[in-house]
Amino acid sequence: MGQNEPVPSLLLIEDDDAIRTALELSLTRQGHRVATAASGEDGLKLLREQRPDLIVLDVMLPGIDGFEVCRRIRRTDQLPIILLTARSDDIDVVVGLESGADDYVVKPVQGRVLDARIRAVLRRGERESNDSATFGNVVIDRAAMTVTKNGEDLQLTPTELRLLLELSRRPGQALSRQQLLRLVWEHDYLGDSRLVDACVQRLRAKVEDVPSSPTLIRTVRGVGYRLDAPQ
Amino acid sequence: MTEGQQEQHAHRGRLSGWSAARRAVSSGLRFTSLRLRLVVVFGLVALTAAVSASGIAYWLNREAVLTRAQDAALADFEREMQNHASTLPVHPTEDQLAMAARQMTDGGRLFSVLLIAEDADGRPVQASAGTSALDGFTVQDVPASLRKAVAKKQPITSNNEHAYHLYWQRVIDEDQPYLVGGAKVIGGGPTGYMLKSLEPEAKDLNSLAWSLGIATGLALIGAALLAQAAATTVLKPVHRLGIAARRLGEGKLDTRLRVSGTDELADLSRTFNRAAESLEKKVDDMSAREEASRRFVADMSHELRTPLTAITAVTEVLEDELEAETGSLDPMIEPAVRLVVSETRRLNDLVENLMEVTRFDAGTARLVLDDVDIADQITACIDARAWLDAVELDAERGIMARLDPRRLDVILANLIGNALKHGGSPVRVVVREEDSALVIEVQDNGPGIPEEVLPHVFDRFYKASASRPRSEGSGLGLSIALENAHIHGGGITAANSPKGGAVFTLRLPRDASPLIAEEQGNGTEENGG
Repeated sequence: MGQNEPVPSLLLIEDDDAIRTALELSLTRQGHRVATAASGEDGLKLLREQRPDLIVLDVMLPGIDGFEVCRRIRRTDQLPIILLTARSDDIDVVVGLESGADDYVVKPVQGRVLDARIRAVLRRGERESNDSATFGNVVIDRAAMTVTKNGEDLQLTPTELRLLLELSRRPGQALSRQQLLRLVWEHDYLGDSRLVDACVQRLRAKVEDVPSSPTLIRTVRGVGYRLDAPQ
Repeated sequence: MTEGQQEQHAHRGRLSGWSAARRAVSSGLRFTSLRLRLVVVFGLVALTAAVSASGIAYWLNREAVLTRAQDAALADFEREMQNHASTLPVHPTEDQLAMAARQMTDGGRLFSVLLIAEDADGRPVQASAGTSALDGFTVQDVPASLRKAVAKKQPITSNNEHAYHLYWQRVIDEDQPYLVGGAKVIGGGPTGYMLKSLEPEAKDLNSLAWSLGIATGLALIGAALLAQAAATTVLKPVHRLGIAARRLGEGKLDTRLRVSGTDELADLSRTFNRAAESLEKKVDDMSAREEASRRFVADMSHELRTPLTAITAVTEVLEDELEAETGSLDPMIEPAVRLVVSETRRLNDLVENLMEVTRFDAGTARLVLDDVDIADQITACIDARAWLDAVELDAERGIMARLDPRRLDVILANLIGNALKHGGSPVRVVVREEDSALVIEVQDNGPGIPEEVLPHVFDRFYKASASRPRSEGSGLGLSIALENAHIHGGGITAANSPKGGAVFTLRLPRDASPLIAEEQGNGTEENGG
């Protein structure tokens, strides 16, 4: 991370005082600006006031829970959300990913791991090349980091955009979920394939004409996903 | 001698085998079935009743019919003797005798007559007459005992007015029943014998016997049908009871019988219902208690996780201080900080494992499947834990499997970690394919597992000996590895290699997706936090 880069600002929504204080301490030491909120309602208010770069959101909150906060944010905003969940392999994760989260970490989480995830998510919005690609009526402008469909701008989260970019870089080639997890999420070999599936679903809902019968982002059974130009 | 014994054993074996076979056959035919026994008992009762009733009826009838026929015949004969034979001279001629005999049988009499007398010269003369069927009635046809009785002169007393009496006897000649009667004319005269066929009466009696036999047969059939009906009314509830008991045995504890009536079977049904009810209550209580204790462990792990999350996040701050070269920490404080950092990590692992165990116990553990290259997975697992130097991997790339990569990683990390800790390096990991299964062997170079420990290696918190210093692991590692194998539909076995060292063999199906399909439908879970 270069010296000139702006310090990313985070919003941490967590109801437990000890966890909130500890994570704030840890993330601040990793070089983030951290604002905190103790409930979903406070968090949504702070979000409007401060415009953070990323939200770290606890799932179990008093009042409106993390999933609902996530859904409300997604209605208007595409900024990245990382869920703090108590359980790794049950329905929490699936519901969280369906409500629009970009990534999740499981408690108890090490500050370094959370920091790495945060930086990986933030990197997804960075531009890297200046060309563009066209797939049917969808145009991906890598310079402006925008995607248009029939001339209209599509609202994509950085993760959805990065997934589309990685797929579009290798048109017609099937990428496994593990490959996509490394390329997009920068996860190690144990990445959760449900992240990919959930993100593909969300992307299809925005990009495809008929999301239930995709023509662009195809599933390749036993392998993963492939981006095809329509015939 | 040993050979002889062996032979004997073999023989006995054959015998018992044979009797077992016979038992199987007899149970197949169900000679002892309640239905058959009821039918037999009913049949015997009906048979006894019918046979004794028809026997008595037959004998009474027979006597009545025969007596009436013979009384009528004998009375006729006596009258004819009075009318015709007594009018004969004391020494009649043969013609006179024949005439008298013809007269006696005239008028449709159904018997033959034989008259015997002495003529004037003292020679015996005889004449017979009768129905054509009974032609040739001679004195030979008359039993000697009857002749003697007829010829016997009785002393005349106050009770006995006559010197000669009428005697009769039933004989059977060539399977035909006959009545033979004889009388002597008092005061000297011919002796008369009569022969009457009893065939019509015998025929009547025969047909009576036949009808009684048929009636007995019908009674037997009726008894059998009644027995069937009785057996059905008794056996149907018994059958229902059997079905209910089987359902109860299969774990359907809400099985109850419909109770109707007040008989013994209704009592039995009521008893069954009460037993099922109390069993259901007990099982409910037990599962509720088990559920409560499971929930307690799950809740406790969750509660531990919250402070642990805060501690873990802050521990890193302490770790950074330890790693800083400036030596900013007080040398007196440093060991304390190190201890806190390392023990926090241990506590983390323990809570993590406890949570994992409660998930397996509650059945909420789920598979997240992906297609992975096994060799790549194992290499990454070893690499991530810096075990590359200590582990020899014998696996070809390109062996693909559809499984949960995280769970495979947990299994491998526990097996290899265990091998490194107890066996020492180098640990050898071999991957091979067997049909639709994937086999991964983890072999170490250690002293192997003691025989008495071998059955317990997968037990939770099992310590090989009480004196052993507390292990670095949580004591749950191998148990969790086994559960993770089970959830894939696979398994792990532990053994000692003949070359020395322990061998853990992990066997997983190449594709675990059929298990996921099975799991669908009971996938409800509660959220916690």
